[in-house]
Amino acid sequence: MRVAACIKRVPITGGRIVLTEDSRAIDTQHLGFTISPHEECGVEEAVRLIEAYHGDSVVLTLGPPEAVEQLRDAMALGIDRAIHVQTDGQEWDGEATAAALLDAIRADEAANGQFDLIFFGNESADSGGFQVGIRVAYALDRPCVTGLKKVVVEGSSVRCEQEVERGRDVYFVPMPAVLTVKEGLNLPRYPSVPGRMRARTKPVAVLTPQRPAPRLELVSLAVPAGQGRRAESLGAGPSAAPAVVEMLARAGVL
Amino acid sequence: MALLVSVALFARRAYFLFGLIREGKPAARFDDIAKRLGAEATVVVGQSKLLQRLLPGMMHAAIFWGFLVLFPTIVIAMIGAVDPHATLPWLGAQGWYALLVDLFALLVLEGVATAFVIRKLARPKRFEGSHLGEADLILALIAGIVLTLFTWHASQIALGLNDFPAAWAPISSAIAQVLPRPALPYLERIAVWGHVLIILSFLVYLPYSKHLHILVAAINVFFGRTRARGRLDKIDFERPETEIRFGSARVNDMTWKQMLDTMSCTECGRCQEVCPAWNTGKPLSPKLLIMAERDHLLGRATTPIVPNAVIDDIVWDCVTCGACVRECPVNIEHIDHIIDLRRNLVMVESRFPDEAGTMLRDVDRTSNPWGKPQSDRTQWAEGLGVRVLKPGEMSPEVLFWVGCAPAFDERARKAAVSTAKLMQAAGVDFAILGPREACTGDPARRMGDEYTYQRLAGENVATLNDAGVKKVVTTCPHCFNTLGNEYPDFGGRFEVVHHTEFLAELVREGKLEPAPSERTITYHDSCYLARHNDVRAQPRELVAAVGKPIEMPRNRERTFCCGAGGARMWMEEKRGRPINQERLREAASTGAETLAVACPFCTVMLDDGVRETGAKLQVFDLATLLQEAVERKKRDSPD
Amino acid sequence: MTVLVLMDGGDASRQTLTLARKFGEPRSLPMSAIEPFAPDALAAMLARAADELSATAVFAAGTDRGNEVMARLAARTGLPLAANCTAAEPGNPVTLTRLRWGGSLLENARLHSPRPLITVAPHTQPADDGPAPAEIPASPPDEHDLAVRVKAHLAPSNGGVSLAAARVIVSGGRGVGSKEGFALIEELAGLLGGAVGCSRAVTSAGWRPHTDQVGQTGTKVAPDVYIACGISGATQHMAGCKGAKRIVAINSDPQAPLMLNADYTVTGDLKEIVPAISAEIRKRR
Repeated sequence: MRVAACIKRVPITGGRIVLTEDSRAIDTQHLGFTISPHEECGVEEAVRLIEAYHGDSVVLTLGPPEAVEQLRDAMALGIDRAIHVQTDGQEWDGEATAAALLDAIRADEAANGQFDLIFFGNESADSGGFQVGIRVAYALDRPCVTGLKKVVVEGSSVRCEQEVERGRDVYFVPMPAVLTVKEGLNLPRYPSVPGRMRARTKPVAVLTPQRPAPRLELVSLAVPAGQGRRAESLGAGPSAAPAVVEMLARAGVL
Repeated sequence: MALLVSVALFARRAYFLFGLIREGKPAARFDDIAKRLGAEATVVVGQSKLLQRLLPGMMHAAIFWGFLVLFPTIVIAMIGAVDPHATLPWLGAQGWYALLVDLFALLVLEGVATAFVIRKLARPKRFEGSHLGEADLILALIAGIVLTLFTWHASQIALGLNDFPAAWAPISSAIAQVLPRPALPYLERIAVWGHVLIILSFLVYLPYSKHLHILVAAINVFFGRTRARGRLDKIDFERPETEIRFGSARVNDMTWKQMLDTMSCTECGRCQEVCPAWNTGKPLSPKLLIMAERDHLLGRATTPIVPNAVIDDIVWDCVTCGACVRECPVNIEHIDHIIDLRRNLVMVESRFPDEAGTMLRDVDRTSNPWGKPQSDRTQWAEGLGVRVLKPGEMSPEVLFWVGCAPAFDERARKAAVSTAKLMQAAGVDFAILGPREACTGDPARRMGDEYTYQRLAGENVATLNDAGVKKVVTTCPHCFNTLGNEYPDFGGRFEVVHHTEFLAELVREGKLEPAPSERTITYHDSCYLARHNDVRAQPRELVAAVGKPIEMPRNRERTFCCGAGGARMWMEEKRGRPINQERLREAASTGAETLAVACPFCTVMLDDGVRETGAKLQVFDLATLLQEAVERKKRDSPD
Repeated sequence: MTVLVLMDGGDASRQTLTLARKFGEPRSLPMSAIEPFAPDALAAMLARAADELSATAVFAAGTDRGNEVMARLAARTGLPLAANCTAAEPGNPVTLTRLRWGGSLLENARLHSPRPLITVAPHTQPADDGPAPAEIPASPPDEHDLAVRVKAHLAPSNGGVSLAAARVIVSGGRGVGSKEGFALIEELAGLLGGAVGCSRAVTSAGWRPHTDQVGQTGTKVAPDVYIACGISGATQHMAGCKGAKRIVAINSDPQAPLMLNADYTVTGDLKEIVPAISAEIRKRR
């Protein structure tokens, strides 16, 4: 079995996001970075599948040179090798990201054979475009199921469970397929030290494509008003009820 | 002949045990010879740790000192057994020695009797799980040795065979009066041979039983820890991969000192009696852990220790409070065993309670166990005018190491704010590192993740050394222990002071003037402060300066953990009763209005305990109490 | 000028319509045009209709299903997609604002596209109260587009809304006092169409099953609103609910950690406050 997992390097933000001076990015000077949480579950699922069925696992990312840390993290969990589509740190929109990853996947498949499964996160934690996995699937003409909380390989097809508001919807698709997953699919393991040491020497192939002009073009970022978690008192005792209901209405859950 | 056989059997077993120990991983325990000899004198000869409990301590000391005195009688008896008219030159003829033998033999007998009373009548819970039958046999053998000795000496006196002046042996002389005359020659022979044979069988039996401790304990004490008790040994990750065995997977991964520990255990259960886990109905007992490892080791088992000898739960129940280590009369270092089991489970097998994974990941990725961005580290100090040291700037007189809990936990925050305000009031020149302060790595290290710990230790040591830090003040005893005791292993060169020590000094110097009050305060000693690092007096000075102290039954170095140590702060307590509630009830039973603490983790755990039990006392860090008292004083005397 | 809107009958769709009207006269395709759900077939219908009607833009609500179908439409037609927008002005390019980081950050962007594809973040627009747009005729799906289709449905184990997917969670702690006390919590959760959660103390006491537990060892939740009633907020509990967009804490102890970490607080006895909120909601309906 051949499995790929596509990941994204994202900063770990807290309650108060601070922007850079030009307001085009988050100030990450004092922030840690991680694999976007949905995708980390994709990596874990890929490792589990290869442990069960043997074969080859590859992790891919599009990101700045530092994203190699997240590739190493994924390899520490047990992925065999990595492909790094390197950027100069500028933002790539979903369409361009999908195209670059597609080229990398196609090149790897031409050399090593088709991937039975390719995992993506349902959406990235930062830009939240909801589209990269689906675009890659279309280009490869493979079925794609999204938002998965459970994946079970059954012979040559795969049973997928998607979380919906009341329960789960179940899909069956033949492999090869592209699956986009959500946090909660599994509990990613904590990397062992031998795993981390081995990851230091696993191969990372680097590609450096040109960034196309974005069609969804980021102009600036802004922090929404009223952020930062500081409790606002809605009152004391039962007389606070109207204020609570008013707040629920504003939150759109009434 | 009997001598040869028993010596051979003894030697065979001793060789086997020595062989096991030689297979152990290395441990640097040959330094500090002076300190080691000192420990030998107080702990072994002085029986200091046993005497922490008076009755059992006296019992053991009686037998131990008795045997030290009686040792030469073994040779005297052997000579006497072969030739009734011969004895050990000089000593065998000394009256003072005969008197000592008489007195100490009686002492041993009293010791044995006391031991039987403790074991058969008092039956303390600490013996739960111990091999009681073995102990009975040993006690019977000891009694036999002493009784045959008395009988022999008495019959010698009655027959006039004694080389020592009979008047110097009053007890033996008294017994001589009641011995049946006609049987005397036989009795003398039977007694001396009985005496020698019991001693020889004792010699053979010892190394095959838990009473191996009689031989090994003195050695174990010698090789005990001489540096700070809170300091763990570091793993060298730079050695070639094949050489590295992270922690203990199997018995041959234990260090030789750990192996010696297991052989030294006599199952007395003092550790079990003070263990917070065992005392709250959890499966971990430090005694049973060491016994299980010993059985696995002596049985030459090749299966992994966990879960074959020790189940996973036991490894995770430990709060590393060190009560067991402090209590152990033979200097067994239980925490090292637990940590090495954890190191293997975490670093090699990646197997641990799920919820702790969140903490490990957060420490690894965000440099704090709360998973908050480092840029939020200065939030607590907003509006206080605290100086944040920038890269390249040199540290002022004091670097205030805030710690993650005060920076990110609302309840722990108060102590940091109070400490900062007090230092400002006293005119102390200090700064904080702000976003450049990373977790010390303590929770990761105690959890067994030495790898992540060492990365953080390296980064922090570099930051502190680069800023030329000379003196660190911290409110967190865990940071205090790690920075002060463990960072020197990574090149840390700075003095580390706990805020209670620092504030007590400022009060003593008159730089802070608290107003005393009638408020009753009971102070909870943090394990990492009072037990691991001997800081007990200064917090009490502060309590006395601001209110009326009331001690809890378990205080100072015998404090009872709040339940957060050993990374338990980040694990759910799924087994037994909550430790924090146990401690909180003890605090509440003093009737004090206020429960003073000196640790952010204790603050959180015990404050949870107040909410959970509905107890009527309030939890405050000593810094907060002191700050209130200083402000009260200022209000009361406006000029 | 016609715009196409994928609609599923919920509030989010009516909000989407508000923004879509800025771009032209809306025509709609109901999400239920294909039952059971087959996202590729819906995307194909949208693509065909958009061409036939020369639609200037296509809209859907920024729900899981809306985003999914629109991403497939974007992939199929080779057009860019702007997901979870909170504002958009027609033009070339379209200037818009969209959510990043699950709403913690806003992005001002320009969408260069001959036919803008936009999903609208729920609860960022007023609901449209104009006439329902005319539906486009459904076209028969291509077999190839039915490969990905819901084949079965699993009801959540507790029979109601699952904790992990719920938009509102009403959670009770030790302060609820008893198993029976949870009737108040259930009532409020029912009125809000949400799920019932609880703290570890509650499961330990046997008042609720472990499946209801929010926390480090229970379920980690990320609702729009998390209402914590009588929960003090131990570290482990906070780890489970910190993903919530808004936390409302109801507690008699203003110093309880959860009260300090909440967005909104109500101080007092939950046994009086929770029924009062339920009554207020009923009054408004």
